[in-house]
Amino acid sequence: MKLQNWVGKAFIIFQVAVMFLVVFFTGRASAQLTAKANHDHITVDFFYHGSTVSVRGVSDPDTDLIIKLTCDDDHQVLRKKGKVGGLLWMNVGELKIENVPNVYYIHSTKDVEDILSRDEINKYIIGYPALERHIKMNVQDEGEKTRWFNEFVKFRESSNLYATTTGKISLSEKDGVQNYYILTQWPYQAPPGHYTVTVYAVRDKKVIETATSSVLVEQVGMVKSFADMARNNAAAYGMISILAALGAGFGVGLVFRKNGGAH
Amino acid sequence: MYLYLPVALTSINVLIPVGLGLLVGLLSGLFGVGGGFLMTPILIMFGIPSTVAAATDSNQIVAASVSGTYAHWKVGNVDFKMGIYLLAGGFLGGLVGVEGIKILRAMGDADFVIKITYVLMLGIVGTYMFVESLQSIRKKKHEETLEQKGSKVAIFLRSLPLQTHFEKSGVTHSAIVPIILGGLVGVLAAIMGVGGGFLMVPVMFYVLRMPMHVIVGTSLFQILFTCIEVTFLQSYTNHTVDFILAVLLLIGSTIGAQVGATFGRKLKGDQLKILLAVIVLAVTVKIVFELTLSPSLLLSQGGGH
Repeated sequence: MKLQNWVGKAFIIFQVAVMFLVVFFTGRASAQLTAKANHDHITVDFFYHGSTVSVRGVSDPDTDLIIKLTCDDDHQVLRKKGKVGGLLWMNVGELKIENVPNVYYIHSTKDVEDILSRDEINKYIIGYPALERHIKMNVQDEGEKTRWFNEFVKFRESSNLYATTTGKISLSEKDGVQNYYILTQWPYQAPPGHYTVTVYAVRDKKVIETATSSVLVEQVGMVKSFADMARNNAAAYGMISILAALGAGFGVGLVFRKNGGAH
Repeated sequence: MYLYLPVALTSINVLIPVGLGLLVGLLSGLFGVGGGFLMTPILIMFGIPSTVAAATDSNQIVAASVSGTYAHWKVGNVDFKMGIYLLAGGFLGGLVGVEGIKILRAMGDADFVIKITYVLMLGIVGTYMFVESLQSIRKKKHEETLEQKGSKVAIFLRSLPLQTHFEKSGVTHSAIVPIILGGLVGVLAAIMGVGGGFLMVPVMFYVLRMPMHVIVGTSLFQILFTCIEVTFLQSYTNHTVDFILAVLLLIGSTIGAQVGATFGRKLKGDQLKILLAVIVLAVTVKIVFELTLSPSLLLSQGGGH
Protein backbone atom coordinates (compact mmCIF):
# COMPACT_ATOMS: atom_id res chain seq x y z
CA MET A 1 0.00 0.00 0.00
CA LYS A 2 2.77 2.39 1.01
CA LEU A 3 4.55 1.68 -2.22
CA GLN A 4 1.38 2.36 -4.26
CA ASN A 5 0.78 5.66 -2.45
CA TRP A 6 4.34 6.67 -3.03
CA VAL A 7 4.10 5.89 -6.78
CA GLY A 8 0.80 7.81 -7.02
CA LYS A 9 2.21 10.87 -5.30
CA ALA A 10 5.34 10.74 -7.46
CA PHE A 11 3.19 10.64 -10.65
CA ILE A 12 1.16 13.68 -9.57
CA ILE A 13 4.35 15.56 -8.74
CA PHE A 14 5.74 14.62 -12.14
CA GLN A 15 2.61 15.89 -13.94
CA VAL A 16 2.69 19.20 -12.03
CA ALA A 17 6.38 19.53 -12.83
CA VAL A 18 5.76 18.95 -16.56
CA MET A 19 2.93 21.50 -16.60
CA PHE A 20 5.14 23.96 -14.70
CA LEU A 21 7.93 23.47 -17.25
CA VAL A 22 5.51 23.89 -20.20
CA VAL A 23 4.06 27.08 -18.77
CA PHE A 24 7.49 28.31 -17.71
CA PHE A 25 9.10 27.86 -21.11
CA THR A 26 6.12 28.64 -23.37
CA GLY A 27 4.20 30.99 -21.11
CA ARG A 28 0.96 29.19 -22.16
CA ALA A 29 -1.18 26.21 -21.23
CA SER A 30 -2.28 23.63 -23.85
CA ALA A 31 -5.88 22.99 -24.99
CA GLN A 32 -7.54 20.35 -27.11
CA LEU A 33 -8.81 21.70 -30.45
CA THR A 34 -12.60 21.93 -30.68
CA ALA A 35 -14.98 23.05 -33.42
CA LYS A 36 -18.67 23.83 -33.16
CA ALA A 37 -20.93 25.22 -35.91
CA ASN A 38 -23.94 27.17 -34.67
CA HIS A 39 -26.22 25.71 -37.38
CA ASP A 40 -25.84 22.00 -37.96
CA HIS A 41 -29.14 21.78 -39.84
CA ILE A 42 -30.14 24.44 -42.38
CA THR A 43 -33.67 24.03 -43.69
CA VAL A 44 -34.59 25.29 -47.16
CA ASP A 45 -38.18 26.53 -47.18
CA PHE A 46 -39.97 29.07 -49.37
CA PHE A 47 -38.44 31.99 -47.52
CA TYR A 48 -34.89 30.64 -47.60
CA HIS A 49 -32.38 33.17 -48.86
CA GLY A 50 -29.16 31.69 -47.54
CA SER A 51 -28.10 31.67 -43.91
CA THR A 52 -25.16 32.40 -41.66
CA VAL A 53 -22.93 29.79 -40.12
CA SER A 54 -20.55 30.60 -37.31
CA VAL A 55 -17.77 28.29 -36.19
CA ARG A 56 -16.18 28.64 -32.77
CA GLY A 57 -13.94 26.62 -30.51
CA VAL A 58 -10.70 26.55 -28.59
CA SER A 59 -7.20 25.71 -29.69
CA ASP A 60 -3.70 25.55 -28.40
CA PRO A 61 -2.16 29.00 -28.09
CA ASP A 62 0.51 29.93 -30.62
CA THR A 63 -1.10 27.77 -33.29
CA ASP A 64 -2.44 29.14 -36.54
CA LEU A 65 -5.83 27.99 -37.70
CA ILE A 66 -7.32 26.99 -41.05
CA ILE A 67 -11.04 26.37 -41.37
CA LYS A 68 -12.24 24.38 -44.39
CA LEU A 69 -15.94 24.17 -45.22
CA THR A 70 -16.73 21.69 -47.96
CA CYS A 71 -18.76 18.67 -49.03
CA ASP A 72 -17.99 15.28 -50.55
CA ASP A 73 -16.26 15.21 -53.92
CA ASP A 74 -18.56 14.95 -56.90
CA HIS A 75 -18.33 15.22 -60.67
CA GLN A 76 -19.34 18.35 -62.53
CA VAL A 77 -20.32 18.85 -66.15
CA LEU A 78 -20.09 22.47 -67.28
CA ARG A 79 -20.46 24.21 -70.61
CA LYS A 80 -17.42 25.93 -72.03
CA LYS A 81 -17.81 29.18 -73.93
CA GLY A 82 -15.48 30.02 -76.75
CA LYS A 83 -15.29 32.36 -79.70
CA VAL A 84 -16.56 30.82 -82.91
CA GLY A 85 -15.70 32.25 -86.29
CA GLY A 86 -13.77 35.01 -84.57
CA LEU A 87 -17.02 36.85 -83.85
CA LEU A 88 -19.64 35.09 -81.73
CA TRP A 89 -19.30 33.70 -78.22
CA MET A 90 -21.01 30.35 -77.93
CA ASN A 91 -20.84 27.04 -76.07
CA VAL A 92 -18.00 25.02 -77.54
CA GLY A 93 -18.17 21.81 -75.53
CA GLU A 94 -18.28 20.32 -72.06
CA LEU A 95 -15.82 20.56 -69.22
CA LYS A 96 -15.95 17.40 -67.10
CA ILE A 97 -14.37 17.62 -63.66
CA GLU A 98 -13.93 14.68 -61.27
CA ASN A 99 -13.19 14.73 -57.51
CA VAL A 100 -14.47 18.25 -57.07
CA PRO A 101 -16.68 19.58 -54.26
CA ASN A 102 -19.71 21.78 -54.94
CA VAL A 103 -18.78 24.11 -52.11
CA TYR A 104 -15.26 25.00 -50.98
CA TYR A 105 -14.45 27.64 -48.38
CA ILE A 106 -11.03 28.17 -46.83
CA HIS A 107 -10.53 30.65 -43.99
CA SER A 108 -7.13 31.01 -42.38
CA THR A 109 -5.45 33.21 -39.81
CA LYS A 110 -2.47 33.78 -42.18
CA ASP A 111 -1.66 32.95 -45.79
CA VAL A 112 -1.83 29.18 -46.11
CA GLU A 113 1.48 29.03 -48.03
CA ASP A 114 3.21 30.88 -45.15
CA ILE A 115 2.05 28.59 -42.37
CA LEU A 116 1.91 25.15 -44.01
CA SER A 117 4.37 23.09 -46.05
CA ARG A 118 3.49 22.12 -49.63
CA ASP A 119 3.24 18.44 -48.65
CA GLU A 120 0.76 19.22 -45.90
CA ILE A 121 -1.22 21.55 -48.19
CA ASN A 122 -1.56 18.72 -50.72
CA LYS A 123 -2.25 16.08 -48.08
CA TYR A 124 -5.19 18.01 -46.60
CA ILE A 125 -6.24 19.69 -49.93
CA ILE A 126 -6.09 23.20 -48.51
CA GLY A 127 -6.32 26.08 -50.99
CA TYR A 128 -6.96 26.38 -54.71
CA PRO A 129 -3.53 25.13 -55.91
CA ALA A 130 -4.00 21.93 -53.86
CA LEU A 131 -7.55 21.53 -55.16
CA GLU A 132 -6.31 21.94 -58.73
CA ARG A 133 -3.79 19.14 -58.17
CA HIS A 134 -6.51 16.97 -56.58
CA ILE A 135 -9.15 17.18 -59.34
CA LYS A 136 -9.26 15.48 -62.73
CA MET A 137 -10.34 17.29 -65.87
CA ASN A 138 -10.95 16.31 -69.52
CA VAL A 139 -8.33 18.64 -70.97
CA GLN A 140 -5.23 18.16 -73.13
CA ASP A 141 -2.42 19.33 -70.86
CA GLU A 142 -1.50 20.98 -67.55
CA GLY A 143 -1.62 24.46 -69.09
CA GLU A 144 -5.21 23.90 -70.22
CA LYS A 145 -6.03 22.43 -66.80
CA THR A 146 -4.77 25.55 -65.01
CA ARG A 147 -6.60 27.84 -67.44
CA TRP A 148 -9.96 26.07 -67.05
CA PHE A 149 -9.48 25.53 -63.30
CA ASN A 150 -9.05 29.30 -62.89
CA GLU A 151 -12.24 29.81 -64.94
CA PHE A 152 -13.97 27.20 -62.78
CA VAL A 153 -12.96 29.01 -59.57
CA LYS A 154 -14.16 32.32 -61.05
CA PHE A 155 -17.49 30.69 -61.97
CA ARG A 156 -17.94 29.17 -58.51
CA GLU A 157 -16.89 32.37 -56.72
CA SER A 158 -19.48 34.32 -58.76
CA SER A 159 -22.16 32.03 -57.28
CA ASN A 160 -20.64 32.41 -53.79
CA LEU A 161 -19.88 28.68 -53.67
CA TYR A 162 -16.09 29.01 -53.46
CA ALA A 163 -14.09 31.52 -51.41
CA THR A 164 -10.81 31.89 -49.56
CA THR A 165 -10.15 34.51 -46.91
CA THR A 166 -7.23 35.39 -44.68
CA GLY A 167 -7.42 37.12 -41.32
CA LYS A 168 -11.18 36.89 -40.82
CA ILE A 169 -10.91 34.41 -37.96
CA SER A 170 -11.18 36.26 -34.63
CA LEU A 171 -8.71 35.07 -31.99
CA SER A 172 -8.61 35.82 -28.28
CA GLU A 173 -6.69 34.32 -25.38
CA LYS A 174 -8.06 33.65 -21.94
CA ASP A 175 -6.67 31.47 -19.17
CA GLY A 176 -3.91 30.25 -21.42
CA VAL A 177 -6.41 29.01 -24.07
CA GLN A 178 -6.94 30.45 -27.55
CA ASN A 179 -10.59 31.02 -28.50
CA TYR A 180 -11.46 31.42 -32.15
CA TYR A 181 -14.61 32.50 -33.95
CA ILE A 182 -15.70 33.14 -37.53
CA LEU A 183 -19.07 34.12 -39.00
CA THR A 184 -19.68 33.12 -42.63
CA GLN A 185 -22.53 33.79 -45.02
CA TRP A 186 -24.10 30.54 -46.21
CA PRO A 187 -25.04 31.00 -49.89
CA TYR A 188 -28.58 30.17 -51.04
CA GLN A 189 -27.01 28.74 -54.19
CA ALA A 190 -25.44 25.87 -52.19
CA PRO A 191 -27.44 22.74 -53.03
CA PRO A 192 -28.97 20.58 -50.31
CA GLY A 193 -26.59 18.01 -48.83
CA HIS A 194 -24.09 17.19 -46.09
CA TYR A 195 -21.24 19.63 -45.45
CA THR A 196 -18.19 19.30 -43.23
CA VAL A 197 -16.38 22.01 -41.30
CA THR A 198 -12.79 20.98 -40.58
CA VAL A 199 -10.54 23.07 -38.36
CA TYR A 200 -6.77 22.53 -38.67
CA ALA A 201 -4.42 23.69 -35.93
CA VAL A 202 -1.04 24.45 -37.52
CA ARG A 203 2.38 24.87 -36.01
CA ASP A 204 5.86 24.72 -37.55
CA LYS A 205 4.39 24.25 -41.08
CA LYS A 206 2.53 21.13 -39.98
CA VAL A 207 -1.04 20.24 -39.07
CA ILE A 208 -0.81 19.20 -35.43
CA GLU A 209 -4.48 18.67 -34.73
CA THR A 210 -7.88 18.60 -36.52
CA ALA A 211 -11.46 18.90 -35.36
CA THR A 212 -14.65 18.57 -37.38
CA SER A 213 -18.26 19.60 -37.25
CA SER A 214 -21.04 18.92 -39.75
CA VAL A 215 -23.79 21.00 -41.39
CA LEU A 216 -26.84 19.46 -43.09
CA VAL A 217 -28.72 21.53 -45.70
CA GLU A 218 -32.13 20.06 -46.42
CA GLN A 219 -35.20 21.07 -48.41
CA VAL A 220 -38.34 20.90 -46.28
CA GLY A 221 -42.10 21.31 -46.55
CA MET A 222 -43.60 22.53 -49.80
CA VAL A 223 -40.22 23.27 -51.41
CA LYS A 224 -39.25 19.62 -50.97
CA SER A 225 -42.68 18.46 -52.18
CA PHE A 226 -42.50 20.59 -55.35
CA ALA A 227 -38.89 19.62 -56.11
CA ASP A 228 -39.61 15.91 -55.54
CA MET A 229 -42.80 16.04 -57.59
CA ALA A 230 -41.14 17.86 -60.50
CA ARG A 231 -38.48 15.11 -60.60
CA ASN A 232 -40.37 11.96 -59.62
CA ASN A 233 -43.97 12.61 -60.66
CA ALA A 234 -43.50 14.86 -63.65
CA ALA A 235 -46.82 14.07 -65.35
CA ALA A 236 -48.90 15.04 -62.29
CA TYR A 237 -46.69 18.10 -61.73
CA GLY A 238 -47.25 19.22 -65.33
CA MET A 239 -51.03 18.70 -65.04
CA ILE A 240 -51.21 20.67 -61.78
CA SER A 241 -49.19 23.52 -63.33
CA ILE A 242 -51.56 23.64 -66.31
CA LEU A 243 -54.74 23.40 -64.23
CA ALA A 244 -53.54 26.15 -61.89
CA ALA A 245 -52.79 28.41 -64.87
CA LEU A 246 -56.19 27.63 -66.44
CA GLY A 247 -57.95 28.37 -63.14
CA ALA A 248 -56.08 31.64 -62.69
CA GLY A 249 -56.75 32.67 -66.29
CA PHE A 250 -60.49 31.95 -66.07
CA GLY A 251 -60.69 33.68 -62.71
CA VAL A 252 -59.08 36.83 -64.03
CA GLY A 253 -61.20 36.62 -67.21
CA LEU A 254 -64.37 36.54 -65.11
CA VAL A 255 -63.28 39.47 -62.95
CA PHE A 256 -62.23 41.33 -66.09
CA ARG A 257 -65.65 40.75 -67.69
CA LYS A 258 -67.50 41.81 -64.55
CA ASN A 259 -65.53 45.05 -64.56
CA GLY A 260 -66.58 45.67 -68.16
CA GLY A 261 -63.14 45.32 -69.75
CA ALA A 262 -62.27 43.54 -72.97
CA HIS A 263 -59.14 42.35 -74.74
CA MET B 1 -39.29 39.53 -49.80
CA TYR B 2 -37.37 36.61 -51.28
CA LEU B 3 -38.88 33.28 -52.32
CA TYR B 4 -36.98 30.09 -53.05
CA LEU B 5 -37.78 28.52 -56.43
CA PRO B 6 -37.76 24.70 -56.10
CA VAL B 7 -36.96 23.90 -59.75
CA ALA B 8 -34.80 26.89 -60.70
CA LEU B 9 -32.91 26.23 -57.40
CA THR B 10 -32.41 29.88 -56.71
CA SER B 11 -33.89 32.52 -54.48
CA ILE B 12 -35.51 35.56 -56.06
CA ASN B 13 -36.97 38.81 -54.82
CA VAL B 14 -40.71 38.40 -55.51
CA LEU B 15 -40.88 41.99 -56.77
CA ILE B 16 -38.81 40.95 -59.81
CA PRO B 17 -41.17 38.32 -61.32
CA VAL B 18 -44.32 40.15 -60.17
CA GLY B 19 -42.98 43.45 -61.56
CA LEU B 20 -41.82 41.74 -64.74
CA GLY B 21 -45.25 40.11 -65.06
CA LEU B 22 -46.89 43.51 -64.61
CA LEU B 23 -44.66 45.07 -67.29
CA VAL B 24 -45.13 42.27 -69.82
CA GLY B 25 -48.85 41.99 -68.99
CA LEU B 26 -49.17 45.73 -69.52
CA LEU B 27 -47.55 45.39 -72.95
CA SER B 28 -49.83 42.42 -73.63
CA GLY B 29 -52.91 44.41 -72.76
CA LEU B 30 -51.73 47.39 -74.76
CA PHE B 31 -50.52 45.63 -77.89
CA GLY B 32 -52.28 42.25 -77.93
CA VAL B 33 -49.09 40.15 -77.89
CA GLY B 34 -48.31 37.26 -75.52
CA GLY B 35 -45.20 38.94 -74.19
CA GLY B 36 -43.10 35.79 -73.98
CA PHE B 37 -40.57 37.20 -76.40
CA LEU B 38 -39.75 39.80 -73.75
CA MET B 39 -40.41 37.72 -70.63
CA THR B 40 -37.97 34.86 -71.27
CA PRO B 41 -34.81 36.91 -71.97
CA ILE B 42 -35.51 39.18 -69.00
CA LEU B 43 -35.91 36.14 -66.70
CA ILE B 44 -32.56 34.86 -68.00
CA MET B 45 -31.07 38.28 -67.23
CA PHE B 46 -32.20 37.85 -63.59
CA GLY B 47 -30.40 34.54 -63.17
CA ILE B 48 -33.10 32.00 -64.04
CA PRO B 49 -31.60 29.15 -66.11
CA SER B 50 -32.63 29.62 -69.75
CA THR B 51 -34.45 26.29 -70.07
CA VAL B 52 -36.44 26.94 -66.85
CA ALA B 53 -37.25 30.48 -68.02
CA ALA B 54 -38.61 29.26 -71.38
CA ALA B 55 -40.66 26.37 -69.93
CA THR B 56 -42.09 28.42 -67.05
CA ASP B 57 -43.05 31.23 -69.41
CA SER B 58 -45.12 28.75 -71.44
CA ASN B 59 -46.95 27.89 -68.23
CA GLN B 60 -47.82 31.51 -67.45
CA ILE B 61 -48.93 32.13 -71.06
CA VAL B 62 -51.56 29.40 -70.53
CA ALA B 63 -53.19 31.63 -67.91
CA ALA B 64 -52.84 34.83 -69.92
CA SER B 65 -54.25 33.31 -73.11
CA VAL B 66 -57.16 31.45 -71.45
CA SER B 67 -58.66 34.65 -70.08
CA GLY B 68 -58.25 36.30 -73.50
CA THR B 69 -59.79 33.36 -75.37
CA TYR B 70 -62.68 33.28 -72.90
CA ALA B 71 -63.39 36.98 -73.41
CA HIS B 72 -63.29 36.68 -77.22
CA TRP B 73 -65.37 33.49 -77.29
CA LYS B 74 -68.09 35.28 -75.29
CA VAL B 75 -68.47 37.87 -78.09
CA GLY B 76 -68.13 35.29 -80.91
CA ASN B 77 -64.66 36.27 -82.07
CA VAL B 78 -62.98 32.85 -82.18
CA ASP B 79 -62.76 30.93 -85.49
CA PHE B 80 -62.66 27.41 -84.05
CA LYS B 81 -62.21 25.74 -87.43
CA MET B 82 -59.14 27.85 -88.23
CA GLY B 83 -57.99 27.42 -84.64
CA ILE B 84 -58.17 23.62 -84.85
CA TYR B 85 -56.12 23.59 -88.09
CA LEU B 86 -53.55 25.85 -86.43
CA LEU B 87 -53.60 23.57 -83.40
CA ALA B 88 -52.94 20.44 -85.46
CA GLY B 89 -49.76 22.10 -86.75
CA GLY B 90 -49.01 23.52 -83.31
CA PHE B 91 -49.01 20.13 -81.58
CA LEU B 92 -46.62 18.70 -84.16
CA GLY B 93 -44.43 21.79 -83.90
CA GLY B 94 -44.42 21.56 -80.08
CA LEU B 95 -43.20 17.95 -80.22
CA VAL B 96 -40.45 18.87 -82.68
CA GLY B 97 -39.42 21.87 -80.55
CA VAL B 98 -39.24 19.96 -77.24
CA GLU B 99 -37.26 17.11 -78.81
CA GLY B 100 -35.07 19.68 -80.55
CA ILE B 101 -34.23 21.48 -77.31
CA LYS B 102 -33.32 18.12 -75.69
CA ILE B 103 -30.88 17.41 -78.49
CA LEU B 104 -29.50 20.95 -78.32
CA ARG B 105 -29.04 20.65 -74.56
CA ALA B 106 -27.19 17.37 -74.98
CA MET B 107 -24.94 19.10 -77.49
CA GLY B 108 -24.49 22.04 -75.12
CA ASP B 109 -25.67 24.56 -77.70
CA ALA B 110 -29.22 25.24 -76.43
CA ASP B 111 -28.45 28.69 -75.04
CA PHE B 112 -26.74 29.79 -78.21
CA VAL B 113 -29.55 28.57 -80.47
CA ILE B 114 -32.20 30.17 -78.23
CA LYS B 115 -30.31 33.46 -78.30
CA ILE B 116 -29.74 33.40 -82.05
CA THR B 117 -33.43 32.61 -82.57
CA TYR B 118 -34.32 35.49 -80.27
CA VAL B 119 -32.08 37.88 -82.14
CA LEU B 120 -33.68 36.95 -85.44
CA MET B 121 -37.26 36.96 -84.20
CA LEU B 122 -36.99 40.08 -82.08
CA GLY B 123 -35.09 41.87 -84.82
CA ILE B 124 -37.71 40.99 -87.41
CA VAL B 125 -40.68 41.79 -85.17
CA GLY B 126 -39.12 45.00 -83.84
CA THR B 127 -38.21 46.26 -87.29
CA TYR B 128 -41.58 45.23 -88.67
CA MET B 129 -43.50 47.05 -85.95
CA PHE B 130 -41.32 50.13 -86.24
CA VAL B 131 -41.74 50.33 -90.00
CA GLU B 132 -45.44 49.41 -89.85
CA SER B 133 -46.23 52.11 -87.30
CA LEU B 134 -44.36 54.68 -89.39
CA GLN B 135 -46.25 53.54 -92.47
CA SER B 136 -49.58 53.77 -90.69
CA ILE B 137 -48.86 57.47 -90.19
CA ARG B 138 -48.53 57.73 -93.98
CA LYS B 139 -51.66 55.63 -94.34
CA LYS B 140 -52.38 55.96 -98.05
CA LYS B 141 -48.97 54.68 -99.12
CA HIS B 142 -49.20 51.87 -96.56
CA GLU B 143 -52.51 50.58 -97.89
CA GLU B 144 -51.17 50.55 -101.44
CA THR B 145 -48.17 48.44 -100.36
CA LEU B 146 -50.40 46.01 -98.51
CA GLU B 147 -52.68 45.61 -101.47
CA GLN B 148 -49.74 44.84 -103.74
CA LYS B 149 -48.19 42.30 -101.32
CA GLY B 150 -51.58 40.77 -100.54
CA SER B 151 -52.41 40.03 -104.15
CA LYS B 152 -49.15 38.13 -104.81
CA VAL B 153 -49.53 36.02 -101.69
CA ALA B 154 -53.24 35.42 -102.41
CA ILE B 155 -52.48 34.03 -105.90
CA PHE B 156 -49.95 31.59 -104.42
CA LEU B 157 -52.33 30.49 -101.62
CA ARG B 158 -55.20 29.92 -104.07
CA SER B 159 -52.97 27.58 -106.09
CA LEU B 160 -52.52 25.17 -103.14
CA PRO B 161 -54.68 21.99 -102.83
CA LEU B 162 -57.29 21.16 -100.09
CA GLN B 163 -59.07 24.54 -100.30
CA THR B 164 -61.69 25.02 -97.57
CA HIS B 165 -63.92 27.90 -96.45
CA PHE B 166 -63.57 29.42 -92.96
CA GLU B 167 -66.98 30.90 -92.28
CA LYS B 168 -66.23 32.93 -89.16
CA SER B 169 -63.24 34.59 -90.82
CA GLY B 170 -64.96 34.81 -94.21
CA VAL B 171 -61.90 33.46 -96.10
CA THR B 172 -61.05 30.40 -98.20
CA HIS B 173 -57.63 28.74 -97.88
CA SER B 174 -55.83 25.45 -98.30
CA ALA B 175 -55.91 23.47 -95.00
CA ILE B 176 -52.13 23.08 -95.38
CA VAL B 177 -51.50 26.78 -94.74
CA PRO B 178 -52.80 27.07 -91.14
CA ILE B 179 -51.24 23.67 -90.30
CA ILE B 180 -47.79 24.85 -91.42
CA LEU B 181 -48.19 28.23 -89.69
CA GLY B 182 -49.36 26.51 -86.49
CA GLY B 183 -46.40 24.14 -86.67
CA LEU B 184 -43.97 27.02 -86.94
CA VAL B 185 -45.49 28.72 -83.89
CA GLY B 186 -45.37 25.41 -81.96
CA VAL B 187 -41.65 25.02 -82.58
CA LEU B 188 -41.01 28.61 -81.47
CA ALA B 189 -43.16 28.18 -78.35
CA ALA B 190 -41.24 25.05 -77.32
CA ILE B 191 -37.77 26.47 -77.95
CA MET B 192 -38.24 30.05 -76.80
CA GLY B 193 -41.16 29.85 -74.37
CA VAL B 194 -43.24 32.32 -76.36
CA GLY B 195 -46.90 32.03 -77.30
CA GLY B 196 -46.15 33.12 -80.85
CA GLY B 197 -48.88 35.78 -81.02
CA PHE B 198 -46.39 38.46 -82.02
CA LEU B 199 -45.63 36.39 -85.13
CA MET B 200 -49.02 34.78 -85.71
CA VAL B 201 -51.08 37.99 -85.61
CA PRO B 202 -49.31 39.76 -88.52
CA VAL B 203 -49.12 36.50 -90.52
CA MET B 204 -52.86 35.90 -90.10
CA PHE B 205 -53.53 39.48 -91.11
CA TYR B 206 -51.26 39.66 -94.15
CA VAL B 207 -51.19 36.01 -95.31
CA LEU B 208 -54.55 34.58 -94.27
CA ARG B 209 -56.37 37.93 -94.74
CA MET B 210 -58.56 37.37 -91.66
CA PRO B 211 -60.46 40.20 -89.96
CA MET B 212 -58.50 41.68 -87.05
CA HIS B 213 -61.02 41.02 -84.27
CA VAL B 214 -61.26 37.31 -85.23
CA ILE B 215 -57.45 37.07 -85.54
CA VAL B 216 -56.86 38.04 -81.90
CA GLY B 217 -59.41 35.57 -80.49
CA THR B 218 -58.31 32.70 -82.77
CA SER B 219 -54.62 33.37 -82.16
CA LEU B 220 -55.17 33.27 -78.39
CA PHE B 221 -57.18 30.04 -78.72
CA GLN B 222 -54.35 28.43 -80.68
CA ILE B 223 -51.64 29.77 -78.36
CA LEU B 224 -53.56 28.51 -75.31
CA PHE B 225 -53.58 24.90 -76.46
CA THR B 226 -50.06 24.99 -77.85
CA CYS B 227 -48.73 26.31 -74.53
CA ILE B 228 -50.71 23.69 -72.56
CA GLU B 229 -48.97 21.03 -74.63
CA VAL B 230 -45.55 22.69 -74.33
CA THR B 231 -45.93 23.14 -70.54
CA PHE B 232 -46.79 19.46 -70.12
CA LEU B 233 -43.99 18.25 -72.35
CA GLN B 234 -41.42 20.52 -70.68
CA SER B 235 -42.53 19.28 -67.24
CA TYR B 236 -42.59 15.65 -68.27
CA THR B 237 -39.48 15.50 -70.44
CA ASN B 238 -37.13 18.19 -69.17
CA HIS B 239 -38.45 18.88 -65.60
CA THR B 240 -37.94 22.60 -66.20
CA VAL B 241 -41.30 24.17 -65.25
CA ASP B 242 -41.01 26.11 -61.98
CA PHE B 243 -44.55 26.30 -60.63
CA ILE B 244 -43.75 28.94 -58.03
CA LEU B 245 -42.08 31.21 -60.57
CA ALA B 246 -45.08 30.74 -62.91
CA VAL B 247 -47.48 31.78 -60.14
CA LEU B 248 -45.41 34.90 -59.35
CA LEU B 249 -45.39 35.84 -63.05
CA LEU B 250 -49.14 35.24 -63.29
CA ILE B 251 -49.94 37.56 -60.42
CA GLY B 252 -48.25 40.40 -62.26
CA SER B 253 -49.19 39.59 -65.85
CA THR B 254 -52.93 39.11 -65.27
CA ILE B 255 -53.24 42.42 -63.42
CA GLY B 256 -50.92 44.14 -65.92
CA ALA B 257 -52.98 42.92 -68.86
CA GLN B 258 -56.14 44.46 -67.40
CA VAL B 259 -54.43 47.77 -66.73
CA GLY B 260 -52.87 47.70 -70.21
CA ALA B 261 -56.19 47.00 -71.93
CA THR B 262 -57.80 49.90 -70.06
CA PHE B 263 -55.00 52.34 -70.95
CA GLY B 264 -54.80 51.00 -74.50
CA ARG B 265 -58.24 52.39 -75.26
CA LYS B 266 -57.13 55.88 -74.20
CA LEU B 267 -53.72 56.15 -75.88
CA LYS B 268 -52.73 56.61 -79.51
CA GLY B 269 -51.90 53.30 -81.21
CA ASP B 270 -49.00 54.52 -83.34
CA GLN B 271 -47.19 56.00 -80.33
CA LEU B 272 -47.59 52.74 -78.43
CA LYS B 273 -46.46 50.60 -81.35
CA ILE B 274 -43.32 52.69 -81.85
CA LEU B 275 -42.61 52.46 -78.13
CA LEU B 276 -42.97 48.66 -78.20
CA ALA B 277 -40.80 48.44 -81.32
CA VAL B 278 -38.08 50.42 -79.53
CA ILE B 279 -38.30 48.10 -76.49
CA VAL B 280 -38.10 44.99 -78.66
CA LEU B 281 -35.16 46.37 -80.63
CA ALA B 282 -33.39 47.34 -77.39
CA VAL B 283 -33.67 43.74 -76.14
CA THR B 284 -32.34 42.57 -79.53
CA VAL B 285 -29.33 44.88 -79.27
CA LYS B 286 -28.68 43.66 -75.72
CA ILE B 287 -28.56 40.01 -76.87
CA VAL B 288 -26.34 40.96 -79.83
CA PHE B 289 -23.91 42.55 -77.35
CA GLU B 290 -24.01 39.38 -75.25
CA LEU B 291 -23.03 37.31 -78.27
CA THR B 292 -20.26 39.60 -79.47
CA LEU B 293 -18.68 41.07 -76.30
CA SER B 294 -16.31 38.93 -74.21
CA PRO B 295 -18.29 37.23 -71.42
CA SER B 296 -17.14 37.71 -67.83
CA LEU B 297 -17.45 33.96 -67.25
CA LEU B 298 -16.40 31.28 -69.73
CA LEU B 299 -18.25 28.48 -67.92
CA SER B 300 -21.93 27.88 -67.28
CA GLN B 301 -23.91 25.11 -65.63
CA GLY B 302 -24.44 22.03 -67.77
CA GLY B 303 -27.97 21.03 -68.79
CA GLY B 304 -27.86 17.62 -67.15
CA HIS B 305 -25.77 14.64 -66.30
